[in-house]
Amino acid sequence: MGFLTLQSLSKVFGDFTAVRDVDLSVAKGEFVSLLGPSGCGKTTTLQMIAGLVEPTKGTITLDGRDITREKPSRRGLGIVFQSYALFPHMTVAQNVAFGLEMRKVAKAERDRRVKEILGLVHLAPFAERYPRQLSGGQRQRVAIARALVIEPPVLLLDEPLSNLDAKLREEMQFELRRIQRSVGTTTIMVTHDQAEALSISDRVVVMEQGRMTQIDAPYRLYERPATAFISSFVGKMNRIEAVWRGGRAEAGAVALPGIAESLPEGAPAILTLRPEKILLKPAGQGLLDGRVASRFFLGSYWLFNVETPIGTILVSAPNQGGEPAGEGESVALDWPPDSATVTAPAQGAAA
Amino acid sequence: MSGRRALTPWMLVSPAALLFLGLVVLPLILTVILSFHAYDHTSGIQNSFTLKHYLTVFSDDYYLSVFWRTLRLAALTTLICAVVGAPEAYVLSRMSDPWRSVFLLVIIGPLLVSVVVRAFGWSMLLGSAGLLNQALQALGLSPVRLLYTETAIVIALVHVMLPFMVIPVWTALQKLDPMVEAAAWSLGASHFTALRRIVLPQVSLGMLSGSLIVFGLSASAFAIPGLLGGRRLKMAATLVYDEYMAELNWPLGAAIAIIVLVANLIIMLGYNRLVETRARRALG
Repeated sequence: MGFLTLQSLSKVFGDFTAVRDVDLSVAKGEFVSLLGPSGCGKTTTLQMIAGLVEPTKGTITLDGRDITREKPSRRGLGIVFQSYALFPHMTVAQNVAFGLEMRKVAKAERDRRVKEILGLVHLAPFAERYPRQLSGGQRQRVAIARALVIEPPVLLLDEPLSNLDAKLREEMQFELRRIQRSVGTTTIMVTHDQAEALSISDRVVVMEQGRMTQIDAPYRLYERPATAFISSFVGKMNRIEAVWRGGRAEAGAVALPGIAESLPEGAPAILTLRPEKILLKPAGQGLLDGRVASRFFLGSYWLFNVETPIGTILVSAPNQGGEPAGEGESVALDWPPDSATVTAPAQGAAA
Repeated sequence: MSGRRALTPWMLVSPAALLFLGLVVLPLILTVILSFHAYDHTSGIQNSFTLKHYLTVFSDDYYLSVFWRTLRLAALTTLICAVVGAPEAYVLSRMSDPWRSVFLLVIIGPLLVSVVVRAFGWSMLLGSAGLLNQALQALGLSPVRLLYTETAIVIALVHVMLPFMVIPVWTALQKLDPMVEAAAWSLGASHFTALRRIVLPQVSLGMLSGSLIVFGLSASAFAIPGLLGGRRLKMAATLVYDEYMAELNWPLGAAIAIIVLVANLIIMLGYNRLVETRARRALG
């Protein structure tokens, strides 16, 4: 039994099922992300935990207490909204103090705690400003401080970084993790950005069409995606159609190594392979020859589209300083057998 | 080229400017001049100038009582409109779509009917043999005298002015992030506290502009006090009408009109400063 548990939680809007029989158990102090494309039910799930949407079915328990039908004001959870939802007519300090005021915390104690939390999010000099006088990143930290100052058992984050520009988003990811670590609050974050989910979560929950399809640690999710959808949604993935023959996946006339579950001889199979696991070698020295159709420079790595007899394969290579093979050049592709996975295509058809 | 560009804005505003000059500023100047003309009951308006009309107005209890009544009824109407209109606008803004359009039309609907017709409607309802008194008598209660009282004027004024309060407040609510209320709940505020501490301050500017419109229109209302106040119960506009049409003392009527205008301006600007500077500082 976790600290926060969802049991067969469902939400139906008219004839549309937004969330379907969701089960999740979150341990105390854990940072869990709900990851999925828009419309997958992740935000609805978060709003049910927050008490802003009433579940159609199922129960939510917090520290052994059933909170399924409790009012949001009684749950005491900290929520950071996508729009931040700061109170525009109050200063930063008044915004942060609001939750303490509602809890009838004495003025002196209130001031002390507001000061402390503003120090934690590096906003102490901005206490007397109004939200409109702050930048996007600062507003976001006010929202976090306002949610954390009431010392909530669980912190809920709804796409907290989506309104920030790329550079700030990256900084705030680590900032968010630092704050969460130092306070130790159990946190659930909703996001559609896989990089965000992978980089700061203890566990990632992938949602597809209202269901939770995989709950795993970030690196396991990346290395062993449970469905074809996850494999393409989390990171980039090559999918090669093949036939299982003699312990190898055969595509065209080429035999490709990979780890396989038990497949019958001659059955159709799908080989999945991450672009960064493929090594580029001089032509003729690898498993498979091909020609570089296009090449992109992305700073820390290069991305190639390589045309081969079995289709176009995406390859990424770290930037080692020199210039790699250019467009039109012939190369060979090679990979260690344990970095490719061979599965039956039925699983792929689900996507 | 640049000369023409500089002229364009002037040409664009010229129709409105001419209309404003011809129909508002010029008559106003003429009215101000008229209010200083001397008047004689036998020979009419004189070509000499005097301050007598202003002195008459400020020294006569009758005129002062009418001004006081105008101020009181306009303020009361504004207060009732704010108390009724703001919650109405909030409910309206929380409605889902087919109903919101329907009820918006219901609120604006009265504006499509002439004020005179609506005033007669109220006099039929509130009269001594009107629907209200018939209903009271049917219930075995004694009839009440409402028509030709201040109560009747306020009831009808509220009815006429309510849309002018609902629309600006509703517009202010539209700009509100709906999640702000949810944020307040999540921090432990009850629905009522969230409304009072979070929603109300943010629509205060909408209520301010609504109040200004309602107060200004109520203080200068003519048809409603004329038809529901009867011959005795005068408000500023009906008093001006009397001086012009019954007494034929146009200069005195003009003086009263100018005093009403100046008083209205002072009250509205003062109120605006008081509320707006406070709200602007926080809302930006």
